[in-house]
Amino acid sequence: MTQPLLPPGLQILACGTLLAFFGWVVFLVRSHRLSLRDSLLWILSTAAVFFFTLFPSVLKRLAQALAIEVPSNALFALAILYLTLNVLSLTIALSNSASRARRLTQESALLRGEIEALSARVKELAAERKNVGPE
Amino acid sequence: MRMLAIIPALDEERNLPRVLESLRRDAPGWDVCVVDDGSTDRTAAVARGLGARVLRLPENLGIGGAVQTGYLWAREHDYEVAAQIDGDGQHDPQFLAAAVAPIESGKADLVIGSRYLGSGGYQSTGLRRAGIRYLSWFLRLRCGARISDPTSGFRVAGKRAIELFAARYPSDYPEPEAIALATRRGLSLCEVPVVMQEREHGSSSIGIGGMLYYLVKVSLALLILPADRRSLSATESA
Repeated sequence: MTQPLLPPGLQILACGTLLAFFGWVVFLVRSHRLSLRDSLLWILSTAAVFFFTLFPSVLKRLAQALAIEVPSNALFALAILYLTLNVLSLTIALSNSASRARRLTQESALLRGEIEALSARVKELAAERKNVGPE
Repeated sequence: MRMLAIIPALDEERNLPRVLESLRRDAPGWDVCVVDDGSTDRTAAVARGLGARVLRLPENLGIGGAVQTGYLWAREHDYEVAAQIDGDGQHDPQFLAAAVAPIESGKADLVIGSRYLGSGGYQSTGLRRAGIRYLSWFLRLRCGARISDPTSGFRVAGKRAIELFAARYPSDYPEPEAIALATRRGLSLCEVPVVMQEREHGSSSIGIGGMLYYLVKVSLALLILPADRRSLSATESA
């Protein structure tokens, strides 16, 4: 337990990776390929992971508090939680847009139905008018 | 009374003429609306040629989304009664009159046509019947609905049921869930006996694997149903 939880080299590499990832997310938001709303969870959870990388001792204490013997297992547990949360939010967004697509599909069918009904009525009226004659 | 027959159809160009013909013959007071669920054949053209209103979905939504489109049309055009009839010729329109009676007299908001109340006709295979009996038992357990044929797609809805289904209709094997939804909402349900035919062209949409998925999905849906009427309306207003 005397050796540091994260060797400095690894710590720098992890920080660099996280910063690059964070930069990528920000870039996606700025170029309108990812909505700010959807990026929020990614940004927050990445910031949390960044915090643990900077202060691994917090992780160690957390592991002790949870009675996890090897601190790195706490790290894995957190990582899995992080991924699960993000995937769940993704599925929620997907369900949401599926039900919107369904509603829109139905609306377009209804509108097309209305148009057909109207154009049939217009033809009917035109025919009536023809029968009555120009005067 | 203004009555609308909703016919969800996916690639049914061969079965539709017979269905529409028998509707005209046996249910003359009904307006007919065929919901074409993204067919790749001439379903829409055939239906239009036979004088039905056609609602053509640009993408395949599955039976739930298709039927709901019909209910939306019914709500939009102030129909007092809307019936669902399969486009494959399984359901005989001559039973519509008997199925509307409980709605006309105000005794029910939703009427299910059951092939197990009467006798004869297509009763489905043994394995499926077992599945249907299980669903019927589970529905009764979960929300007290006594329905002998919960998977039946022959239904007649009154004004309240039209409103409910237009606003909210389950997708993906929706029939038992729709019953649960209606019961939970306080609608009154009843069943009338119908005789069903085996489809003439094409095969049923559900195989053995599909049936397993059906049972699991519907059981799950019934299990996690909002607990009571209050929570149902709470989730809706949210």
